[in-house]
Amino acid sequence: MKEVGLWSAAEVSEWLVEEGMPEYSEALRNYDGRALLQLSELDFGNPPLSKVTGDNGRQLLERVETLRISNHMEVHKSVNHSSHHANGHIGNGTASNGKVLNGGSKNAFHSEAVRIHIPLPSKQERSHFPTEWPKTALSFLYALCCFVTTSVVISVVHERVPSKKESPPLPDKFFDLFDRVQWAFSICEMIGMLLVALWIVQWLLLKHRSIVGRRFFFIVGTLYLYRCVTMYVTTLPVPGMHFKCSPKLFGDYEAQMRRIMKMISGGGLSITGSHTMCGDYLYSGHTVMLTLTYLFIKEYSPRRFWCYHWICLCLSAVGIFCILLAHDHYTVDVVVAYFITTRLFWWYHTMANQQLLKQSSQGNPFSRVWWFRLFLYFEQNVQGIVPRNYQLPLQLPLLWSWLPGSWLPWQSLSGARVMYSRVDSH
Amino acid sequence: MAASKFPKSGDSNSHISSANHIEVTVADRPHPQDTPDNGRQCNDRPSRFSRSFAKILRKNQDYLQITISEPKLEQLPAEWWKTGVVFLWALLNLFLTTVMITVVHERVPDKSVSPPLPDKFFDFVSRKDWAFRVTEVNGMLLVTAWFLQWLFLKHKSIIGRRFFFLLGTLYLYRMVTMYITTLPVPSDHMNCAPKLEDDHLGRIHRIMQLFFGGGLSITGSHMMCGDFLYSGHTVMLTVTFLFIREYSPSSWYWTVYHLICWVLSAVGVVCILVAHEHYSIDVVVAYFVTTRLFWWYHTLANNQSLLDSPHNYLNKVWWRYFFRFMERNVRAVVPCVFSWPISLPRASFKIPCRRYSKVQIVREE
Repeated sequence: MKEVGLWSAAEVSEWLVEEGMPEYSEALRNYDGRALLQLSELDFGNPPLSKVTGDNGRQLLERVETLRISNHMEVHKSVNHSSHHANGHIGNGTASNGKVLNGGSKNAFHSEAVRIHIPLPSKQERSHFPTEWPKTALSFLYALCCFVTTSVVISVVHERVPSKKESPPLPDKFFDLFDRVQWAFSICEMIGMLLVALWIVQWLLLKHRSIVGRRFFFIVGTLYLYRCVTMYVTTLPVPGMHFKCSPKLFGDYEAQMRRIMKMISGGGLSITGSHTMCGDYLYSGHTVMLTLTYLFIKEYSPRRFWCYHWICLCLSAVGIFCILLAHDHYTVDVVVAYFITTRLFWWYHTMANQQLLKQSSQGNPFSRVWWFRLFLYFEQNVQGIVPRNYQLPLQLPLLWSWLPGSWLPWQSLSGARVMYSRVDSH
Repeated sequence: MAASKFPKSGDSNSHISSANHIEVTVADRPHPQDTPDNGRQCNDRPSRFSRSFAKILRKNQDYLQITISEPKLEQLPAEWWKTGVVFLWALLNLFLTTVMITVVHERVPDKSVSPPLPDKFFDFVSRKDWAFRVTEVNGMLLVTAWFLQWLFLKHKSIIGRRFFFLLGTLYLYRMVTMYITTLPVPSDHMNCAPKLEDDHLGRIHRIMQLFFGGGLSITGSHMMCGDFLYSGHTVMLTVTFLFIREYSPSSWYWTVYHLICWVLSAVGVVCILVAHEHYSIDVVVAYFVTTRLFWWYHTLANNQSLLDSPHNYLNKVWWRYFFRFMERNVRAVVPCVFSWPISLPRASFKIPCRRYSKVQIVREE
């Protein structure tokens, strides 16, 4: 294309027709290329241009601007502009470094490529599963509070348990069928400790351990909170005559505090000697832990470990059976505990996995639980189903990062995960 | 090209000579629906007047009505036979519950052997005689209100199905908890009927009495003990209230109605405890189980897509097959629409109780 400044009047007229603005050819018949480039808005204020133009010459001026730019580019092949755009409007000041990537342009409208800086959210925010350890810490505190409250309530309830002579053990169908087996409760507790240990190890190996940990603490805390309520309102008598309840301490608050501390430190297990208080029957905390650890183990381990799942299921079932065999809880305690644990677990995970259930609406009755706001706080930023990815807990490469490059092969240990498919390999 | 004569907005080129006279003028405006019709018209060669007349009529249609054939499958089929099946399920469970109460009654320890258990509520509030009657009256009021509301709902069969299913399942759970552990009587005032060791006829007689009396003490059928965990009265009060609220509109007048029902329900539940007829734990567990089951069921029913998703835990409940059986053909959220119970052929007008937008009105026409 010939340089615009060298155009004759006839060429200008031809260009006008080409651009679809023939109405100007009469008014601009004496304008050559240079004069065309020097057109401005003021010219459109006076006749004859003011009579011909419908939009104050804006369209024509834009096209002329385009011409001007391409003309400029033709003359100077590579240019560092910071303010001119092909289409006329300038973005914010950060449109810097508008280096022309393709040196001349074939089309006057896309004559320049401009870099527009869009601030990306940080890597943390972009991830679908942000770690957010503060929330996990809060959840842990919540669980801790619930544990402490439970211990306090057990201590209070212990004072109110009717004595064995006053209120003999209630009739229970299971107890009628099976006699008491003494060592069964130790088995139950050992199984419980094993399952908890397995779960902790599995949790440590998870990649998204903060999210999963948050869920575990929240569910455990809530279950123990419910347990406080049910234990407190009605006190069931001891389930078997074999129970040796520690003596009641009427009004001796210091001794009660010590008792509470002992219970917390021992985890409420009779193996550790902290299970001396009576009255905490409805519902059974041991069943809760056995069921919940199994549910979590199954949920957050790969599907193909079906053998492992079956083993944990059997352990869990045997543990629960042993509670009853030891005549340590009524059957209704165990049944209610199982029911509440499984429902809460499934409810929570269904809500967490479905985006549409995270909004409270008419069609979402799940949002009417009292802990919905707390749930939203924990799970708001988790988008989607937490994948079962594994990762070593200690970031080994950090230790090696200061070493020279020859040690680089060790870096592959970090993020060593189970690779499921090509999709996952990033 | 003919210009229309009827008062069309922006039609500045037409002339209207008189009200009962159509004047056809020719204008230069190109018309969009010109070509196809014109071609056809030209082939038939009718008179020029009728051609332009037809064009005028066509031009005055502001919109075209495109009829879409109604989908073959109804969104909310009634399927009364399913409701019948579920009603039988509920009836069966209610009957089995009465049998279970009779069985458990034999095992309740005597008051002297097992005194009433310590209960926090009983420590605070001493027993009032009239309280249980209040509970039962409230219960009967709520059941009647729900029944009337149900009669006027349009999708009676679907909603009735849900009600019977929930009731049946709740009573089934109740059977289990009653049976496995027997709590002693909550209060000394309770007079349990004497135990019939082997008197089967007497037992059957009791079952019938309990069943037909609805288990209410007003009807004199509440004389057996042992059915404490969990409380059937609480279940009825809670479930009727939940259904009343769920299937009624949410406008201002109805909110007053909801409030009244809520008060009835809450007062009824509290009066159970005031009357020392149940332990607090019975009431708490009953409330928990009822509300969770209700909400679970309705979430599943309102979000049928959840059923098919792989990470759905709602499906792990044992009654999922029942659920599929009942709700398989229900393809939409059951709307809150009222209609006359006895549908006269042309008299069943649909009263939508929630008007969301014009879209809904147009769709219903």
